Amino acid sequence: MINLLTHEAFKLRHRLRAWLGPLLIMVLVLIAFPLSIDVSQYDLNKFYFSIIVVSLLVISFLATESIFSEDYEDGSLEQIYLEEKDFYKVVLTKISIYIFFIGIPMSLIGSLFSFANGVAADETPKIFVILTFSTLILFNIFSFGSALSINKGAMLGVLVSLPLALPVIVLLGRAIRTVQYGEGFIEVLSLLAGVGLILAAVMPIIISATLKTHLE
Amino acid sequence: MQLITASNLGYSINENRLFHNLTFSLETGCGLHIKGGNGSGKSTLIRILLGLTSPSKGEVVFFKPNLNISYLGHKNAIKQYLTPLQNLELIFAPSELDDAMTWMQTFGLTKVQDEMTATLSFGQQKKLALIRVLGKSSDLIVLDEPFVGLDDLSRDLVSQFLCSRLADGTSLVLTSHIDPGIPCVELILSEQSND
Repeated sequence: MINLLTHEAFKLRHRLRAWLGPLLIMVLVLIAFPLSIDVSQYDLNKFYFSIIVVSLLVISFLATESIFSEDYEDGSLEQIYLEEKDFYKVVLTKISIYIFFIGIPMSLIGSLFSFANGVAADETPKIFVILTFSTLILFNIFSFGSALSINKGAMLGVLVSLPLALPVIVLLGRAIRTVQYGEGFIEVLSLLAGVGLILAAVMPIIISATLKTHLE
Repeated sequence: MQLITASNLGYSINENRLFHNLTFSLETGCGLHIKGGNGSGKSTLIRILLGLTSPSKGEVVFFKPNLNISYLGHKNAIKQYLTPLQNLELIFAPSELDDAMTWMQTFGLTKVQDEMTATLSFGQQKKLALIRVLGKSSDLIVLDEPFVGLDDLSRDLVSQFLCSRLADGTSLVLTSHIDPGIPCVELILSEQSND
């Protein structure tokens, strides 16, 4: 497992566009939004979250779009399938590395920008935790979409995974309101964490079965 | 000692029957050269033997559990954004890296080991991909058109290596339009197999 983690981290680290690209797009969106409106007319710390949530959704999709296709296209996935008895572990490792390299920095960027736009300093860690669990859920869902559409173009992946991601966005919005109003944060966070951990355990099994079908 | 037995293998894509009723076996230290025209099902047969594709009919039985297989198919399975050296570090365990580096030297790839793989020629990339098979010890080597893109010298080196591995008891399955110069049993997938 450690070997797999090291290999996946090594590969992603050398694919600058795959991990740095989504992070730069997120930064760009979060900087561009306040510039595009008259900030004096709006209470930015209230609705800036919406931009973070929407960018999290879009960037998560972008980041996971090539999570399996790159290995599939160059034949590495075939080799990994032959070498690794537990294909589930490979998928789990890949998603974990993507969350570590892209998801967590995205959450950090989101929470830092929310702080910069007027959210109190003591609430920023709460935002970070909420965004991290949301990223965990979104990355698993979109990785499934990516696996499903590995040789059929990204459209099928969007069509399948977006309906699954929308309830997560509703839940994320609710979690952020609990931070804003200071009530029920732990309850909603527990729900997000529970859904995230269940998906993190189940999705790799489903994804590995999907990839096996594509390899045939 | 028998390593693999295939019984009554058949494979069809929609209405197109690639082959049917193929029965053969492979013994330890023996080679099997699958021959046939384009689209006759050579690569599919190899994928069936590897368990990557399910046959429409028949079965493949492996007599040795946890068989260690080295395989190179049509795709090179190397990373274009890494250097040849980084590719090898990704494929091989540190203890196996010395053998792989020897092959790099033999194939004359040492001078380009720190360049981006994407900048290498087709033949150089093929050689790099072949090191995956040549640098590892295994019970069975499976190669799909291994000589495509190789110059005469490299082709001879690979053939010699495969002969020596056969003598050491490793089994070999390969497809090739070029005569490999390796003592192998031939399995011909022809037009007749579609009848």
